[in-house]
Amino acid sequence: MTNVATLAKRELSALFLSPIGHIVLTIYLGFMGFLFTIYVFVPGQTADMRIMFSVAHLALIFIVPLMTMGLLADEYNSGRIEMLRTSPVTEAEILLGKFLGAFGFYVILVASTLVYVALLSIYGKPDFGSVYAGYIGLILMGALFVSVGLFFSACTRYQIVAAMSSMITLALLGILLELASRYFAVFVSVANPFMRFVREALRYMAVTPHMEDFAKGIVDTRDVAYFGTGTLFFLLLTYLILESRKWR
Amino acid sequence: MSEPAEIVVEHLSKWYGNLRAVDDISFTVPKGAIIGFLGPNGAGKTTTIRMLTCFMAPTSGKAVVAGHDVFFESLKVRENIGYLPENTPLYTEMRVNEYLDFRGKLRGMDRKTRKRRISEVTERCWIADRLHSVIGTLSKGYRQRVGLADALLHNPRVLVLDEPTVGLDPSQIRAARKLIAELAGDHTVLLSTHILQEVEMICQRVIIVARGKIVAQGTPEELKNRAGTGIRVEVRGPADQIQSALHALPGVDGVEIGDASAGTSKFVVLGKMTPELRERIASTIAQRGWNLRELRQEGASLEEFFVRITDPAAAAAA
Repeated sequence: MTNVATLAKRELSALFLSPIGHIVLTIYLGFMGFLFTIYVFVPGQTADMRIMFSVAHLALIFIVPLMTMGLLADEYNSGRIEMLRTSPVTEAEILLGKFLGAFGFYVILVASTLVYVALLSIYGKPDFGSVYAGYIGLILMGALFVSVGLFFSACTRYQIVAAMSSMITLALLGILLELASRYFAVFVSVANPFMRFVREALRYMAVTPHMEDFAKGIVDTRDVAYFGTGTLFFLLLTYLILESRKWR
Repeated sequence: MSEPAEIVVEHLSKWYGNLRAVDDISFTVPKGAIIGFLGPNGAGKTTTIRMLTCFMAPTSGKAVVAGHDVFFESLKVRENIGYLPENTPLYTEMRVNEYLDFRGKLRGMDRKTRKRRISEVTERCWIADRLHSVIGTLSKGYRQRVGLADALLHNPRVLVLDEPTVGLDPSQIRAARKLIAELAGDHTVLLSTHILQEVEMICQRVIIVARGKIVAQGTPEELKNRAGTGIRVEVRGPADQIQSALHALPGVDGVEIGDASAGTSKFVVLGKMTPELRERIASTIAQRGWNLRELRQEGASLEEFFVRITDPAAAAAA
């Protein structure tokens, strides 16, 4: 377990030392700041951060892959994977170390926007319940997004391929499935129980409905389970990929 | 002699799809020895090393390093190995001391041991003056030494060094070789290299691989002798008597006469090239009262042997 902590710490500091880490921070905070100033921090508006949470998850579809693309792809490309794999650490430890390091960076990224909460509370009375729910949702969603990014980074030595694959997958999960389920609602008869099942399944797999619950202030254990199991799923896939590389 | 060997490789093979990179090789390395691992590019040296250091799994066969099987007890093997890969991969954004600290932690060393070992190995590898430099700013020679320091950090039983002196300047090369030679005895060293001079200087035994197989094994002296084409002898004395005397020695196939002028003759002795033969020639000439001027083995270089043994045409004929 201490190996995981060592690897995670190193990964976290590497992200802060790399230009990509700062680019990600800048884009995200710039975007959030823009939203905050134009839509939330306006005199006369209700002190509601909901729009930031709903839109944040769309932005993160593109931002998180940038952060995670190098996690393993860079190790393959530079040959440093040889150093890692000939050290007395297991694949599971490498995996968890990388994940926790990147996730830690993500948490810091999201936590930086807490300054807006502070600002709001000085000038208004935001509903702290829904704000906390929103942040919990962001954190959980981030775990899923990072695990997807880590998985694709493990699959290839080209960072750009990892980034694009992650973005497409997250876009699929985040936006398209939601749209697909709405399409089903409009065009397909709901009387058929199988079609109804498909529609519900699609709706469940999409990220947006779950995230919206959190944005509204609802912490539903179904949503927590969704993000939790989704994260575990991609982490497991990443583990399988790492193990399989030993045999090539 | 009764101690089990430190590295035991039995019928190790590695296939990449249809390509047989390592073909049923077997060898042993005794504890405390320095073994040179030679071969042309693409011979399977790096693949074999990668299997021994648990970077990849063998397709078939068995390897036991420091008493543990590389497949079943891979974690234990990795605890006992210090590995310097060919391209010295390092985290270039870290500082030297940070990097070594990180590696020390991964090897389960506690803080006090880490501090002590880091100062010891950086001293030994001559990088103590650049302890706080960012690795990305160091020259190749320094980076190589950081890699070497990393490999030595936990004082492993076995050291596997893949081309450790490539890219170093001549004085650095000399220093590195001295360092590696000093490591024998306490550590078992497997040195993979192209530089034959290095092998002759440092290694006690040599294994030559080509096309995935082992084509020769032995001490550098033995292999050099196998490449010897003849022993050149210059003697002052009666030419025909000398010739028959030399021919009569065991292991001699023929004696050719070179120039003969003013009583001295040059001969080339052909046959089984051994150091004993040279000794016998010298003592025979001395006993018979002739005057020996020169005794030299021809064509006996490791390079000659290497080129011959790894020549694909020779292998096809064999």
